[in-house]
Amino acid sequence: MRQISAAYTKAVKELLREKAALFWTIAWPIIWVLIGSFSFTGSAPQGVVPYIKGSIAISMMVFALMIAGMSNLPASIAGDRANGLLSKLISMPIKPYKDFIGRISAVITLSLLAAALVIVVGTVVGARFTGAGVEIAQAIGFVFLVICASAGVGLIAGTLIKNLQGAIMTGVGIAVITSAISGLFVPYEGLPVPLQTFARVYPISSAQASIVHLLAGPDMVAYNPLTSGQIALTIALSFALLLAGTVLYSRLGWKLE
Amino acid sequence: MFAIHVENLVKTYDSRRVLDGVNLDVPEGEFYALMGPNGSGKTTLASIIAAVKTQDSGIVEVYGNKPAQAKESIGYVPQENFSSPKLSGKENLIYFAGLLGYSRSQANQLAAGMLNKLGLSEEADKRVDKYSGGMRKRLEVATAIFPGIKVLILDEPTTGLDPAARRSFFSMIQEIMDRKTSIILITHIGSDAELASRVGLIDNGKMIAEGTPDELKRKHAVEDVITVETAVKTDSVLSVLRGYSINEKVAESETGYKIYSRNGDRVLADVVRSLDQAGHKVMRIEMARPTLEDVFFRLTERHLQEATG
Repeated sequence: MRQISAAYTKAVKELLREKAALFWTIAWPIIWVLIGSFSFTGSAPQGVVPYIKGSIAISMMVFALMIAGMSNLPASIAGDRANGLLSKLISMPIKPYKDFIGRISAVITLSLLAAALVIVVGTVVGARFTGAGVEIAQAIGFVFLVICASAGVGLIAGTLIKNLQGAIMTGVGIAVITSAISGLFVPYEGLPVPLQTFARVYPISSAQASIVHLLAGPDMVAYNPLTSGQIALTIALSFALLLAGTVLYSRLGWKLE
Repeated sequence: MFAIHVENLVKTYDSRRVLDGVNLDVPEGEFYALMGPNGSGKTTLASIIAAVKTQDSGIVEVYGNKPAQAKESIGYVPQENFSSPKLSGKENLIYFAGLLGYSRSQANQLAAGMLNKLGLSEEADKRVDKYSGGMRKRLEVATAIFPGIKVLILDEPTTGLDPAARRSFFSMIQEIMDRKTSIILITHIGSDAELASRVGLIDNGKMIAEGTPDELKRKHAVEDVITVETAVKTDSVLSVLRGYSINEKVAESETGYKIYSRNGDRVLADVVRSLDQAGHKVMRIEMARPTLEDVFFRLTERHLQEATG
């Protein structure tokens, strides 16, 4: 437990002291919440605007979670490998999974902090949410799935891409591109049919649609993401990504040969 | 039982043998320097002893155990700066103490004590990216000497340090030796290796010589070394110098030449006279007892710095 705590404390402090990480994870989504809330709601009926803003805030919260998992996590892994810390860690009596849990926990902390700030800013600029206890609990479950899937992608990128800048940019690239083609940045109904299919299969956009459905209302989503089949697919693929990342990291991430 | 025992160690990368039957024994409390150029296999050897890499064949033991089973007693300082630049010196030490299983309060106490010993108390809360190279390296060595560490492996720790930082670094090493910790110093700097009680010279994956610095010099480089700098470096200068060096061996450096002689005092004057007669102006000439770098040159016909690149 002490080893996990040590790895966690170090990773959290590093993340909170890294200006680029804070910008992309917290400031950037907040900027888009502000832009989106004031630019994309003009023609909507007055009664719907707060929920559109709520939907935008949720999308940007999901984007913040993606950046935390897909970019900050691989940056932390690749950075430690590049600066020789990995050699040092391998020589020490610490199990890779303890370092892994510490890192993941730090990313979850930053993710939740970013998510909370994005939602608070969204609320301040007029976002309103529906749903009560059960819906909120379910939405938190989907937030957890987004974190799992993003961390899985981040672990894969951090393990396979040895270069620090490469790992960061790959993570940002995957987050931005998949967000753009899966309906996070543009309405689902505006996507071509193949991308609509992708949006339903991609666990992060599917989880985002589920959260919007639960907290901003079903009218804000062009399809029902809460069918049992869709939920099962989202859960399965989120855990599959996390599992793939974990296996890859534990097998290859701690090897220098 | 030796602190470190290495027997017939072989390691291959892409069909190239980087370690080719290396043998090494380091008794408890010994300061052992492993000296060789880049690519000679010394870092690979260090990382195998430190349990970071594994060998293809051969035996490696740390106090009778395989390195992977002896991690509690190994302190390894890789060549790269591994301390986190975003954390303070104290936070870095607390992190590594935590990884070794110390509680938060124990780690705090240990870190404070170590920073005090290192003379870094005043910088304890400063972020490491504000440290000088020497301070950072001392901090990193501190992460490898927590209680219970019996073997300290230092990979090129003085690279990039100024003379003052190097002196300060080695006075710290002296303190560590007083605790009976065995030290392996990986280096390509002869003056660093001179400080060790024993030195192993490694080249192309093979141990080519081993002994105390004095033994090595007595055995492999009995000659005086005369360094000559002329106004210009030409073939004509080289040809004059060859006539005075044993086996006509002349080592060329950036600024001049080195020749080897058993009668340095007499040859010194003759060299000046001959160069003068040949029309070459001598800018500097001096004689010195051989160094470990000279020993390496005598054994490999290559200059250590050149081989290091």
